[in-house]
Amino acid sequence: MAARTVLRNEWRLLVADRALRVVLGLFAVLLLYALANGVVWMRFQERIVETVQTGNAERASAIEQELAAIENGAEPASRFSDPRDPYVLGGGRGTHTAVLTPGPLTALAVGQSDLLPYYYDVNIYTNESSFQQNGEVENPLNLMVGRFDLAFVVIYLLPLLVLALGYNVLSEEREQGTLALTLSQPVSARGVVVAKLAFRALPVVGMVLAASLLGTLVTGGFGSPGRVLLWCAAVVIYALFWFVLAAWVNSLRRSSAWNATVLVGAWLVLVVVLPAAINIASGLLHPLPSRVQMVTAQREASNDAVNRRSELLARYLEDHPEMAEGVVADVTFSGALAWAATDAVNRRLEEVTGEHDARRAEQIALVRRYRFLSPALLAQEVLIDAAGTGDARYAGFQSQVRAFAERWREFFVPAILAGEQMDASVLPDLPRFSLADEEAADVARRAAVPLGILGGLLVLVSAGAGVGLARVRGAD
Amino acid sequence: MIRHIIRKEFTDIVRDGRFRWCSILVGALLLVALGHGWVQARNAQQEHAAAQATAREHWETQGEKNPHSAAHYGIYAFKPRLALSFVDEGVDPYTGTSVWLEAHRQNDFLLRPAQDATAAQRIGVLTAAQVLQHLVPLLIILLTFGAFAGERERGTLRQLLASGIGRRELAVGKALGVGGALALMLVPAALVGAAALVVVSPGPAASPLARGVVLAGVYLAYFTVFLALSLAVSAWARSARTALVILLGVWVVNGLVAPRVAVDLSKWLHPTPSAIEFARTIEREMASGVADISPPDRDASTERLLAEYGVERVEDLPVNAVGVYLQESEEFGNRIFDRNYSALWDTFERQGVVHETLAVAAPLLAVRTLSMGLAGTDVEQHRHFATAAETYRRDLMRRMNGDMAENSRTGDFSYAADAELWESVPPLQYAAPTLGWVLGNRILSLLVLGTWLVGTVLVAAARVRRAEVG
Repeated sequence: MAARTVLRNEWRLLVADRALRVVLGLFAVLLLYALANGVVWMRFQERIVETVQTGNAERASAIEQELAAIENGAEPASRFSDPRDPYVLGGGRGTHTAVLTPGPLTALAVGQSDLLPYYYDVNIYTNESSFQQNGEVENPLNLMVGRFDLAFVVIYLLPLLVLALGYNVLSEEREQGTLALTLSQPVSARGVVVAKLAFRALPVVGMVLAASLLGTLVTGGFGSPGRVLLWCAAVVIYALFWFVLAAWVNSLRRSSAWNATVLVGAWLVLVVVLPAAINIASGLLHPLPSRVQMVTAQREASNDAVNRRSELLARYLEDHPEMAEGVVADVTFSGALAWAATDAVNRRLEEVTGEHDARRAEQIALVRRYRFLSPALLAQEVLIDAAGTGDARYAGFQSQVRAFAERWREFFVPAILAGEQMDASVLPDLPRFSLADEEAADVARRAAVPLGILGGLLVLVSAGAGVGLARVRGAD
Repeated sequence: MIRHIIRKEFTDIVRDGRFRWCSILVGALLLVALGHGWVQARNAQQEHAAAQATAREHWETQGEKNPHSAAHYGIYAFKPRLALSFVDEGVDPYTGTSVWLEAHRQNDFLLRPAQDATAAQRIGVLTAAQVLQHLVPLLIILLTFGAFAGERERGTLRQLLASGIGRRELAVGKALGVGGALALMLVPAALVGAAALVVVSPGPAASPLARGVVLAGVYLAYFTVFLALSLAVSAWARSARTALVILLGVWVVNGLVAPRVAVDLSKWLHPTPSAIEFARTIEREMASGVADISPPDRDASTERLLAEYGVERVEDLPVNAVGVYLQESEEFGNRIFDRNYSALWDTFERQGVVHETLAVAAPLLAVRTLSMGLAGTDVEQHRHFATAAETYRRDLMRRMNGDMAENSRTGDFSYAADAELWESVPPLQYAAPTLGWVLGNRILSLLVLGTWLVGTVLVAAARVRRAEVG
């Protein structure tokens, strides 16, 4: 009964607090602004995806029409764009663009989607250097600063709000001299702090979740409920971490001013300094291999291949005896010869890039261990991964495009080597890229470790707060 | 008297454990960031210089071939890392580092270091510039929020003023005391930075020392703004707590909220084209021309040549008509590229102006712009290099097509030039823009920062004069 009274009074106090209403109102405005930004960006990407797909359809139908016309006796418009030539049908003119649809929750977290390419033109000339692209046209200054999206509000601003609301839940009572009175009721200090923080957590977390669900609703992200759930879990755990941290600091029985200083310091260290220190340390200990050297190596590889053009066809046929069948004894046949050189360049590029990527993956694996030190890094990872704008989804897309390019080559190269012409009958069999998007379960599996560690940090700080609060006496 | 105030403030800060540790932390971060930046900048510069030399070697040793084939082979240009980039890497991780200069096309800069990094690296970057832009102001706030409000709460303000010191002297004394404590940390860092620049410069630059001095001045002005602002708020606020809350609010808006709002605002006011629209526009204009720029007509070009040389057949021409035509289409392409890329760069610049304008609400934006400009790592200096590389490409193409036109005849595809021609092309020599050029571009930021400086000092003076005693 007494506990109920304490809670009811606390609630009345909160509701009557004008400053609190102003702060929460401001926070709501920021949330909506962030959401609007995210939605605009997602709509933009969706429009581009549509443009790309229309382009695919238009190219395909132009080729189909010309092939039909040729079948009816018309002459091809130009010898160099004759769609019967596998170099043309599989080359620039027949290009199929493989595209990654925006992550289901892009509106909540722009993540890497403004930096990494989300569509690639695939044709027989696609090779490793085709993956060196810039992605969307974007002012480098804007890329550097980053977007004002929900993920930003959650990672940076939410903790500050939590700290502002919770830094004095206990110290204020003591400073006002009401602590002894409160604790003379049949309630524990722990109960009071939990209740007070819960009252503050409810509107704050509730607002963030409401904004997240609103954004999901507006952009149709409910198609992947697993991601939404993961997002919400990360938001809740991260927000609770900061509330519990406030409780812990309050349990140390110091002044409100001291609490505020320590909590702001903790925010600064955990959100700003540690991520930066981690990046500096990892940059020094595990530097990423340089792409610049790779460009030079690629150039050398292709020089080498082009210079040895004449020996290449013979070697190619040795490597691919199954192809030799269709090739006439005349090895000077230019299409086959040109392809042999292209293929040799591609193989060397794959070697050079493969080495680079392996070293990069190694370094990144080492770097990623350090992120466990900072809840902000953990939260960021889970949030953008859940949104479908994290590094992993883009890497997955890229490897699917690689496989697709391989299928594309396998479809056209035999005809190139045999010097055959193609006709409309092959059109239905042309390889088409269909994205096998990652399942929510894949994302959950990846997020399990960072989310688990974040949860572990939460439990650890809760335990500290619990122990500290148990020692709080009204006479303090 | 004022000397006593300065000494008292200074000693207070230096003896106070919390502030001592905060200062040591910030100072250490500053030194680590400087060191890390220097190592990175030097490695990148060495690597780019080596790659540029290799690219040149590839060009010279490409063997005998038709000059136009050589034009297609082209050469890579690598963007040099300028000396002061170790203080502020600016947009460098988000601009490409190399561009392929080839026939017919102006290519984009590729290889953005940020694409190779992880998402974590986008939220946790700490360069010396960021320590100076974010952490030092925070330190200033922590050191000064109680200057008046704290003394007032403790009742010592009345005592102090009763001892005959003026409010203004008191404020100046406190500012100088805090400044002295900060100098303990900043001066050594500045000296280390200057030494790094003078002894072993990590990369080339035009007048690096002059740039460094102006850079130091910019940051000094920025710190003064925060010092004056903190004193003003401290003099005005009822309690030290209120002063701290207000100042932290200012810090969050200045460092976290305003920069990102500027991003969205700039995109909204000056939208960039999508990559696919940009590419398709160029493709379309290259195919059929636009407005008053029309693609060269090959037959007309040949006719003109025949008339010019007074011959009937192309075989009799003393020049290769194909070479002449190739150069004409190169010139046509250049106009198309200029049109589109200029528009894009101009959009970026207008977006940059939005960031600069928003500095009226957040001085960080002015300081960041100036800092990147002086370090040579802003968008404008990326454009400067991109323009130099493109100018070089055009000269290279003119030389190749010119050689083909002069030294071979129409229809003769067997003509091959050799290393003599390749070596006759001067290597790409890039001259970084001068200090005057950089500052000339940044007048808006200079004005806004100057206004902040004068404004906050005046406000602080007014607030201090009216500071209540108790």
